[in-house]
Amino acid sequence: MVSKIINMADKLKDEEDRKLESLFRSDSINDDGFSVRVVSRVRRRIWVRRLSLPIALVIAIAVGAKPLLQLAEIIPGLLGSFPVEAIGLDRFPIDGLPQMSTIIMGAVLLATVMMIGRMLEDN
Amino acid sequence: MSDNELVAQVLAQQDANAFGELVRRHQSQVRNFLRKLSRDYVLADDLAQDAFLHAWDKLHTFTGRGTFIGWLLKVAYTTFLQSKRKSNRYSEVMTEVGNEADVRDSRHAEDFDELSDLDKFLAVLTEEERAVMILSYACGLSHREIGDTANLPIGTVKSIIFRGKEKIRESFGIEDHKYG
Repeated sequence: MVSKIINMADKLKDEEDRKLESLFRSDSINDDGFSVRVVSRVRRRIWVRRLSLPIALVIAIAVGAKPLLQLAEIIPGLLGSFPVEAIGLDRFPIDGLPQMSTIIMGAVLLATVMMIGRMLEDN
Repeated sequence: MSDNELVAQVLAQQDANAFGELVRRHQSQVRNFLRKLSRDYVLADDLAQDAFLHAWDKLHTFTGRGTFIGWLLKVAYTTFLQSKRKSNRYSEVMTEVGNEADVRDSRHAEDFDELSDLDKFLAVLTEEERAVMILSYACGLSHREIGDTANLPIGTVKSIIFRGKEKIRESFGIEDHKYG
């Protein structure tokens, strides 16, 4: 009710308001490719967002691969100094786990497949 | 299809085509608003593009409570203010290093006589008054919508419009209701 009264009050315009309206009014502007430019920028933005995570993953893996591999070499030695029997790690088949290089290759492959999948999805 | 339905489609499917339809519908009003506000057509169109990109990013914040154009003009006004703040900072830096020639904007160096009546009227108003008057008389927003757009209470919107009209009358020696 209150908002209706406020809207009614808005609509009660005097002659001065009408003259100002005609002074401020301007012809509508032709699109002239404006919306096409905006939409192409929006599409570019969508692409950047979609690609940024997989690309960041690939870069992170590329940068972190060597230190990770070195860590993987050290960890078995470190585990040897802990009482592994106490936490049951002696029964854990560490040798059965895939090699770190295999994991990295798998992650890169997964990221690539995800990127290609999204590209195909968009076309 | 209504604006709200298009917005829902954009949000559900990240549909750039539906967003393109919204841009086509409202580009004229947004560009007109920014052209009057900045009094620079090239800058206004650049800002309008940025405003629509911001609108794309923030579309999820549109609740559908008011009109879509009201919300869009709010985004456009915020974009204008942000750009002005940046250019003010640029001016300050250039002045600090003594390169005042770069600060001078040739686009605003037009002869006062060549300006339209509207430009002359707008020139006597402060930035806030200009924005409120344009939203009211050029964009046709209600006082409530202007309040939402410019983050002002309705009472303040009304007093700004009153003050703006008075300034225009005083500056140009206009008797009541004799414009143009």
